Amino acid sequence: MKLREIAASRSGDKGDVSNICVFVYDAVHYPLLVQQLTADRVREHFGDLVEGDVVRYELPLVHGLNFVLDRALGGGVSMTLRADPHGKSFQSLVLDIDLVSEQAPA
Amino acid sequence: MPGQTRALSLASGSAYADDRLDSVAAMADSERVGYLGFDCLAERTLALAQVRRLANATTGQDRRIGALVPLLRGFLASGRKVVGNFGAANPDAARDDFARALKEVGLSGVRIGVIHGDDVRSLVAALDSELPELGTTVGALGDRVVSANAYVGADGIVDCLQQDAQIVLGGRLADPSLFVGPICHELGWELDDWDRLGHATLVGHLLECGVHSTGGNYEDPPYRVVPDPHNLGFPLADVEDGTVTVTKLPGTGGAVDAMTMKTQIYYEIHDPASYLTPDVTADFSGIVIDDLGDNRVRITGAQGRARPETLKVLVGVDQGWKATGEMSYGGPGCVERARRAEEIVRKRLEPYADEIDELRIDLQGVDSLFGDRMPGGYPSEVRLRMAARTSSLEVARTAAHETELLYFGPAGGGGNVTSVVPAIGVTPAYVPRELVPVRTEVSES
Repeated sequence: MKLREIAASRSGDKGDVSNICVFVYDAVHYPLLVQQLTADRVREHFGDLVEGDVVRYELPLVHGLNFVLDRALGGGVSMTLRADPHGKSFQSLVLDIDLVSEQAPA
Repeated sequence: MPGQTRALSLASGSAYADDRLDSVAAMADSERVGYLGFDCLAERTLALAQVRRLANATTGQDRRIGALVPLLRGFLASGRKVVGNFGAANPDAARDDFARALKEVGLSGVRIGVIHGDDVRSLVAALDSELPELGTTVGALGDRVVSANAYVGADGIVDCLQQDAQIVLGGRLADPSLFVGPICHELGWELDDWDRLGHATLVGHLLECGVHSTGGNYEDPPYRVVPDPHNLGFPLADVEDGTVTVTKLPGTGGAVDAMTMKTQIYYEIHDPASYLTPDVTADFSGIVIDDLGDNRVRITGAQGRARPETLKVLVGVDQGWKATGEMSYGGPGCVERARRAEEIVRKRLEPYADEIDELRIDLQGVDSLFGDRMPGGYPSEVRLRMAARTSSLEVARTAAHETELLYFGPAGGGGNVTSVVPAIGVTPAYVPRELVPVRTEVSES
């Protein structure tokens, strides 16, 4: 199951730091999100797009997670030559992550 | 008692320097809000405005004021108020634009407050401020530093409103402060009442990005769709002590619901418990969202702690020139032909390697956004994109032209476009806030 099937996301920029917040549509999926969408998982998925650390903050009251990706924008919005300098599209890349649904056979 | 039972309604008028103005008139004429806040600046806008001002001393302000004022005629005539960072690099010129436009629409005696003090070029030069993201200092960059503007908070705005200003403008007024100022002024909140400042900052954060709260940068069919995305309504907020209800005008498109609110509240936030602004260290970690239906959402639970002792400064740095050039390839073998084209461009630019600071070539449709992180099937078309940064205008033009000459490259290249623009980077610095005194000046148009 793709994360996109259960969650919405948005990415933003400050200098060379990208943040991506992710919220499940249905609160019932929040434990699965917390368990599987770890900072390491996001770090691995983004590979060399991100040069620095990935930090995760939990937002249990709104059933979301906020990821802060350091040195993720090729030197910063105004410095990078990337086609998407703001990393607006990062919100879509994170939704491509595969999750194992709880109903799936072990 | 002030701050206990009073309410205030505010709306967003603009999220950046080139935002559309066609919905401002409807909001202004709705008599629904007492204040319109206009965020006119993104990270790089002010540095670019400073470059314009250096070329012509009467420019560097927001360029929409003449078109905006006629839309606000009734709004201003009824005594309602406007706050914005229209000044960009030249607040006095913005004031003059307002005065001229007000005269043209037959309004006289409108009090305009101007906030000065955010331009800290001489300060960061004197301090030789560190630029942590670049690993250097202001002094080391010398005359490549084209601008330095501190994010300043609500205090100057409140000061102008206390002097009965009806239009308040400045340069790098922090985005949420455009709303924090009016809220604190109208509801009688002190600027060191941190929990209330945190709440007011939440309101500002929800309004500052315009339709980003109501369905902009949001749809992902079939999972997330909103009605009439061509006509997104700007958000408006009814603010009370500890509570805000966000909505939009009836008849507009988009959506105000729990998810549009969540995605905006945590947009461009790092630690949700410590969102730093010039006004407060806001804490959005305990926010509770109550979807009331019918495009109304009530939000509570924002808190705050003491404001940071330093102010963030964005330093604009001349990076030379940025050249881009694109060419499309389609059909069988399009990826291989585009890669061949890339080889040609790289080879042709080799003689300029010493002058080119950075060069990248991507294939849109294959790897331009995510590199190799999301492989797909073979595309039916790709678009080669070359981007180069160089201190030489001549080299920049050469780099761009090389993509045009790909018409004589691999078969079937079409649709070349090129551009060469000044490359202005912005990078953060931090200065003690007591070194950035803000000065206000209120006068009648």
